[in-house]
Amino acid sequence: MVEIRIHGRGGQGGVTLAKLIATARFLTGHSVQAFGLYAAERSGAPIQAFCRFSPEAITDRNLIYEPDHVVILDPTLVGPGVTRGLKPGGWILVNTELPAEAVAEQFPHNRVAVVDATAIALENRLGTRSVPIVNTALAGAVARILEIPLDDVLAGMEHLGFGGGNVTAARSAFQAVAIRDAISPDAEPESARPGPAGRGASFLEGAGGERPAIQTGSWATSQPKRQQYVPPCNHICPAGNDVQGFLHALARDEVDEALGILLRTTPFPSVCGRVCPAPCMQQCNRSELDEAVNVRQLERLAGDVGRVVLERPEARSQRVAVVGSGPGGLSAGYHLARFGYGVTVYEGAPEVGGLLRTGIPDFRLPGKVLDREIERITDLGVQVVTDHRVDRRGLMELARAYDAVLVATGLQQLRDLRLGVGGSDMALQGIDFLDQVKHDQARLDGETVVVVGGGNTAMDAARSALRVGASEVRVVYRRTRHEMPAIAEEIEEALEEGVILHELVQPVSLQAEAQADGDTGSHGLQCIRMRLGEPDASGRRRPVEVEGSDFSLPCTRIILALGQSPDLSVFPEGAEVREGGDLLGLLEHPVFAVGDLATNDGTVAGAIGSGRRAALHIHQTFTGEVVETGDQARVRSDVDLWNDEVIRADALRMHLFERSPGQEGSSLDPRERLDGFREIHTGLPDTSEARRCLSCGVCNECDICVTYCPEGVLKRVGHQLVFDYAYCKGCGICVTECPRNVVFMSHL
Amino acid sequence: MSTTELPVNGSAPRRDMPGEIPPLSCEPLLRPGNTNCGGCGMSIGLTWLGRALEDLEQKAHLAIPACCGAVTAGAFPTTSYAMPTVATTFAAAPAVASGLASIRDLNGSEEQVICWAGDGGTYDIGFATLSAAAERNENILYICYDNEIYGNTGGQRSSATPPGARTTTTPHGKSESKKDVMSIMAAHGIPYAATLSVGHPEDFRQKLHTALTTSGMRFLLMHSPCPTGWKSEPAESVQLVRLAVRSGLFPLFEVFGGQRYRINAEPDWADPTEYFRRQRRFRPEEVDLGTTRRWARERFQRLKVLAEAFPA
Amino acid sequence: MPREIVTGNHAAGLALSMAGEANRFARGTAAGIYPITPQTEIVERVAAFPFSKGRVVPVESEHSAMGVTIGASLSGARAFTASSSNGLAYMVENIMVAGFYRLPVVMVAVNRTLGPPWNIWADQGDTLMLRDFPWIQLYAQDNQQVADLTLLAFRLAEDPRVLLPVLVCMDAFIVSHTQMETELPTQEQVDRYLPPLDLPHRMRSDDPKTLGGLVWPDATVSLRKEIHEAFDRVPMVFEECRQEFRDVFGRSPAGAVEAYHTKNAETVLVATATIATTALEVVRSRRAAGERVGLLILRMLRPFPIDQLLEACASASRIGVLDRDYAAGIGGVWAHEIRAALQGTRDDLLVQGYLTGIGGGDVTAERIDEVLVDLGQRELPGPPVWVGLEDPAPVPAAPPPKAPLVPPVPSGVEATP
Repeated sequence: MVEIRIHGRGGQGGVTLAKLIATARFLTGHSVQAFGLYAAERSGAPIQAFCRFSPEAITDRNLIYEPDHVVILDPTLVGPGVTRGLKPGGWILVNTELPAEAVAEQFPHNRVAVVDATAIALENRLGTRSVPIVNTALAGAVARILEIPLDDVLAGMEHLGFGGGNVTAARSAFQAVAIRDAISPDAEPESARPGPAGRGASFLEGAGGERPAIQTGSWATSQPKRQQYVPPCNHICPAGNDVQGFLHALARDEVDEALGILLRTTPFPSVCGRVCPAPCMQQCNRSELDEAVNVRQLERLAGDVGRVVLERPEARSQRVAVVGSGPGGLSAGYHLARFGYGVTVYEGAPEVGGLLRTGIPDFRLPGKVLDREIERITDLGVQVVTDHRVDRRGLMELARAYDAVLVATGLQQLRDLRLGVGGSDMALQGIDFLDQVKHDQARLDGETVVVVGGGNTAMDAARSALRVGASEVRVVYRRTRHEMPAIAEEIEEALEEGVILHELVQPVSLQAEAQADGDTGSHGLQCIRMRLGEPDASGRRRPVEVEGSDFSLPCTRIILALGQSPDLSVFPEGAEVREGGDLLGLLEHPVFAVGDLATNDGTVAGAIGSGRRAALHIHQTFTGEVVETGDQARVRSDVDLWNDEVIRADALRMHLFERSPGQEGSSLDPRERLDGFREIHTGLPDTSEARRCLSCGVCNECDICVTYCPEGVLKRVGHQLVFDYAYCKGCGICVTECPRNVVFMSHL
Repeated sequence: MSTTELPVNGSAPRRDMPGEIPPLSCEPLLRPGNTNCGGCGMSIGLTWLGRALEDLEQKAHLAIPACCGAVTAGAFPTTSYAMPTVATTFAAAPAVASGLASIRDLNGSEEQVICWAGDGGTYDIGFATLSAAAERNENILYICYDNEIYGNTGGQRSSATPPGARTTTTPHGKSESKKDVMSIMAAHGIPYAATLSVGHPEDFRQKLHTALTTSGMRFLLMHSPCPTGWKSEPAESVQLVRLAVRSGLFPLFEVFGGQRYRINAEPDWADPTEYFRRQRRFRPEEVDLGTTRRWARERFQRLKVLAEAFPA
Repeated sequence: MPREIVTGNHAAGLALSMAGEANRFARGTAAGIYPITPQTEIVERVAAFPFSKGRVVPVESEHSAMGVTIGASLSGARAFTASSSNGLAYMVENIMVAGFYRLPVVMVAVNRTLGPPWNIWADQGDTLMLRDFPWIQLYAQDNQQVADLTLLAFRLAEDPRVLLPVLVCMDAFIVSHTQMETELPTQEQVDRYLPPLDLPHRMRSDDPKTLGGLVWPDATVSLRKEIHEAFDRVPMVFEECRQEFRDVFGRSPAGAVEAYHTKNAETVLVATATIATTALEVVRSRRAAGERVGLLILRMLRPFPIDQLLEACASASRIGVLDRDYAAGIGGVWAHEIRAALQGTRDDLLVQGYLTGIGGGDVTAERIDEVLVDLGQRELPGPPVWVGLEDPAPVPAAPPPKAPLVPPVPSGVEATP
């Protein structure tokens, strides 16, 4: 008599395998038995099945305790328990992708055969990926090791009505079996017959009520784990802010914590919360669902409402000079001061703030908001010297006196437009105009103004012009509104206030209008219409003139807002100005370019990020210590898998989110706005907008996975997700219900 | 009438925002190490029932008739239930619970007496007992986890099996419809009857709270995914029952005193094809989609009329 | 102790209710009740009893009546019910549960013929079919015994050495509906006799055990053996309960077994319930005539009182067993039990079974005389004797051999071999 014990999991087809073997033998005249051990086991639980065959009549009606051979349907079941009582020299057949030798190490006294029945089953579409039906493949493998003719097994399968992929699977497995049959000879048979039973529990006594002893984690073929992606907002933020992080804090109404997170990377949350073009919002995955989270206004809220007192760190001996007090310079100074370095900022103008101070009108960025954020920097001990313009010689002196110098002079060269006769009288640079407006030195009462350009300076100038008396303000831009670099909201607001936008229009020249009185200063701006052609190097479609489309716009004033470029005159001839490079190795101490000067990025956020990187770089130069405060600082030890790729909407389970419209925040009525330079936005009333953040690829502790875990073995402890793998059955509901792709399934 | 609009994209009303589930002060009602299949809806229901009891600082005694839930306990003397439990005969749970609740009330004890039963024990063999307990307005909470099949015996039809579903006793798909047990239970005029879906945790929690703070007979019908019986992926369990709510196949509603109705979720009438396709108990040729959808719409319409005429 | 004229049902209903009432200082009492002739009066009396701490649950079936009783008992209450005949058959599943859960519930059963065809009169077949369940079974002869044994049943069931349910049986109509003088207990006496129940395994919130979880074969063996050991202790505890009963009520309740004139008897009749009363009269008159005839009255079926049986039959050479029941293919259950009990100890004894009064017919002294005549003439035991049935039914003829079914051969086609 041959006795085979089969170990598998509920649902894998172990009993049917016993029947397949038995049928093959039955058809060749054997007496056979095939049966399972039935109890409360469920899908996935370890189960046993048995097969006996003999040329004689079989009389034993009990379980098989001392099998001749053992078949293991699931490699995770391999262990001492499955070979209990196995006769020395008997076969152990395992469904595994491992080589026979790897399995054989554990079983020196038995012959070992392996076959990847799972792969064969899946190839033949037997069962599902989570529960492949491997029994027909293993029937083929059993035929091979027990030297039962394969045709007998196939005949048995036909007898039982198995066809198609089952037959192919059995044939494939028959061929694919790998064998290790060298065994060490000196084994004693192990007795595994059941002994007498002891008295069991009575429910009349105190016994009972303890937890079950089964560790259902052994059923699992895969386990959930926690991963993290880079959210697109964090990835795109030029300042390097942990956008998801501060939104998460706000969503919990922890405004101070949110500000603290922002202050790790930026000294200017209130400023950026007003003037940032917010590329994070353009990248926001939520726009696939309804509309982007209003990150800008939320940053403003955190900056304006949050209260954080920054500790002054222990002072370090090194001193750093910063040239320029714009966002780049101040950001660098701020971060250096937070390391404890002595910082002095030199500013050529009478006031601190650079372009933030002069180039952005009060209705967008009130001076007192800027003052407050600068104060936070100076409170850290940063010294500011105003009215101190640094020239080439001055820079050399600084490089001698300080341990390092940062040059953050921004973009001071203004682009011009040659407009022909008379243009120079009427044309005004937007930046200069805005500075004059700030100082109450500009009036354009009754004037007809044309602003040339499509950036924020153009919009600010146009809107300021309306506020200082202009009767009509037009903006001409050579591409379409869609390509305008200005913040979309600002364009919208400008139009609301009465600014007239001419898209696809290029000014050509300024010509005096043939007026009767001749001296009103009224001119016509000759323009030509454009169309969008092929994309240029920047990816934007290049504007192309439409021949013969010339026309004239009346105007008394032209404001140019065509962009700026760096003024490199402070540097020695031939210096290569780039971010992170120590420009002037010849000078006594290192000198770095920071902000727009180095990056030509043109945004406040970009300058802030550049300043921070420079500060980190200098710190590394001084100490050798690598510190990261931005994105990389978010690599967490409690995450099983860190993906440094950006997560896009298609990797989220969007259907699990509720739609809810974004909050704009309140602003003044367009009619009220033009009365002076009052800030037109009044911000968000509360933090609720932050709850719209999808927290893409980052656990925001929503606890949905915890809620749904059927077993209650997934818990959150503090900020950690704790999976109790001793009991987790690996059902995967925590994965399918995680809307943000934080939980994933890892195959064992 | 108050209903919650389901968003067009089909997400259920649910918590997708930060929040924290407070740790339990005691053991979970359903302990780890239970032998339920992975992805079993009953496991979710028991886990949530345990949390609701915890929320309300209540204890419970369970009476469980023959069903998977009785096997869940595991091998004596250990048990997967952290609260005292008795396995009753198949038809007897509401009667045994009536006895437990009677003595509980005579002694002024506070524990809930809860019947936790499958659809076989509820719709079929135990129905007379259940109906009688409802008619006597026994002070018990009866929760039917309806997986639409005799799961414990390996998957035979019950009167809760939906039309078209293959079971081992309907090898070509069930030709009869699903018994509308909610209407029958509501007709008893019991204080509270409601449907539950494990795809809607907040709604589930609220109704458990209502049930646990109401006295008299309370009946909860929970749509309980069964990956083994439905031949579906365990990980999709919750998605499936949520689809059933969306497509109107399993409406979420409450009936108070058998008279006043509240609908808890407005279906978006999503195409139920996906619901059927993801369960291999259904074959496309054996499911009459048109009739199914018409039936679902008409039933929901009826509920709506009731909820408008007799709002809770 | 008031002496009244009451029916057996009245006595039972009163005893059950007063026993329940006596637990009012503990967890109280409850009964699931459902009517069936001829026990209905019992549940009516229970339903009307003014319990201080009790609930009577009028359910929809016997199955649920026992279900409620089980639930109440699991909650620590003194719980009871009553039923009869097909009602018991419908209740069977839960009757078994009460025993396996070791619940000390008491059920009064009025022995009525199982149907169909429908017959409401006395026959013990209904409770005897429950003989393999873990229930103690007591059979009363009259109203007094009904009252006494019902009270004693609670004391016995609730003894921590026993913890088994008890069935108290009486004959339909002959006891259940017959008005007889009966000494009824006072509540004060019952309170003294039945102390507050403290069930060791009742469901308690601080003890999260599951009753009825899965058990493997080994654990099942253990639980079954516990039941067997509890049954082994029943005769001893039963006698203690009788003694306590005497102390409280001032009179002795009926014993598990009573032997009359068996001391030197050559022939012993064995009878139960009301038949035993008539049989005693016959035996007494035979004894008066000098015949060495004795009578053994059995009141306990489970556990089976083997020792007392052996003692009563010590001098006898033949035993006649009167059964008002019929076990298909076997005959009388009591006769069967006795044969099994004597096996290997008294193989010399001739045991003959007599089926009499089946379906509720009267068992008169004449019938019992016929039995004694038959018994006296016997050399060997034979098949059960259907007492008073003169014409045996004709034996149906064996069916004629049938030709195998062959499909008809279509005309014009020749069948091939």
